[in-house]
Amino acid sequence: MIPGEAHGTIALSASACTSCMICVRECPTWCIELDSHTEQVSEPGARRPKTVNVLDAFRIDFGLCMYCGICVDLCPFDALAWSPEHDLASTTAAGLVHGIEELESTWPSADCAAEAGTPGGDGSPSDS
Amino acid sequence: MTSHGRTDVSPADWLEAMAGLRSEGFVLFDFLTAVDRGATLEVVARIVNPVTRVTAMVWTTLPADAAELASLSDYYLGATWCEREAAEMFGVTFIGLADTRPLLLRASLGKPPMRKSAPLVARAIRDWPGAAQATDDGRQGGNPSRRRQLPPGVPEVFLHDDVNGDVASAELASGDQR
Repeated sequence: MIPGEAHGTIALSASACTSCMICVRECPTWCIELDSHTEQVSEPGARRPKTVNVLDAFRIDFGLCMYCGICVDLCPFDALAWSPEHDLASTTAAGLVHGIEELESTWPSADCAAEAGTPGGDGSPSDS
Repeated sequence: MTSHGRTDVSPADWLEAMAGLRSEGFVLFDFLTAVDRGATLEVVARIVNPVTRVTAMVWTTLPADAAELASLSDYYLGATWCEREAAEMFGVTFIGLADTRPLLLRASLGKPPMRKSAPLVARAIRDWPGAAQATDDGRQGGNPSRRRQLPPGVPEVFLHDDVNGDVASAELASGDQR
């Protein structure tokens, strides 16, 4: 049994990500790529529309990642988390590049997050 | 295992110190490698006394631009492999080392890649993903107030813009990596 706090892979909660680029810029191996655009959002009662970042693509190349966890530590919005999922093998180099869908699929369950004392569970893609 | 601790010796005393420890029972050679400190290069060897299970780390400091050290291969045959590795990765010349063939790299590669003065080529041939910014589809002309972000630790000559890209490729092609 893999303990919940195991550093098996890095998972993403796209709904928590604000496309701030901190993880991309701090990654020592340059393994994270992020595409985003801005949109104007009008909220009722607001005087003028608000500019928000919208996440278009998020990729981690696990062929480059050295599992240092700096991105997990630095994310101000807990949009990245360690996950005990570890079965990332691929027959091609391109298969090691995981996009939003794959990164969200490994988001740790609430049980794992509680065991690890880290974010997870709440705010997960399946919960929201 | 207990540790004999760290011993620092001058390069001139390197062989004598290691031979002395070997005669005291430190007959098992574990590893040898180097550490780039900028102006100096440190070489460290770890040896073990298999009877008492005591380990010893012996360090010496060489000038980075004239890194020469006596080879341990007469005392520890196993040091040959590590010395060949330190020679090609850190550019240490081991005097008396019979086999100087590179282990992994082509002889023509140029600067020893583990020296801090040898920039990582992968940083030159790829754009920094952190340079990307949110594309502005709500306003015209982008956001001029945002400062250009630069990747940490990458030499200026490697940064990709129209001018520097050419310089970096030219330097790489000539094998002169700064």
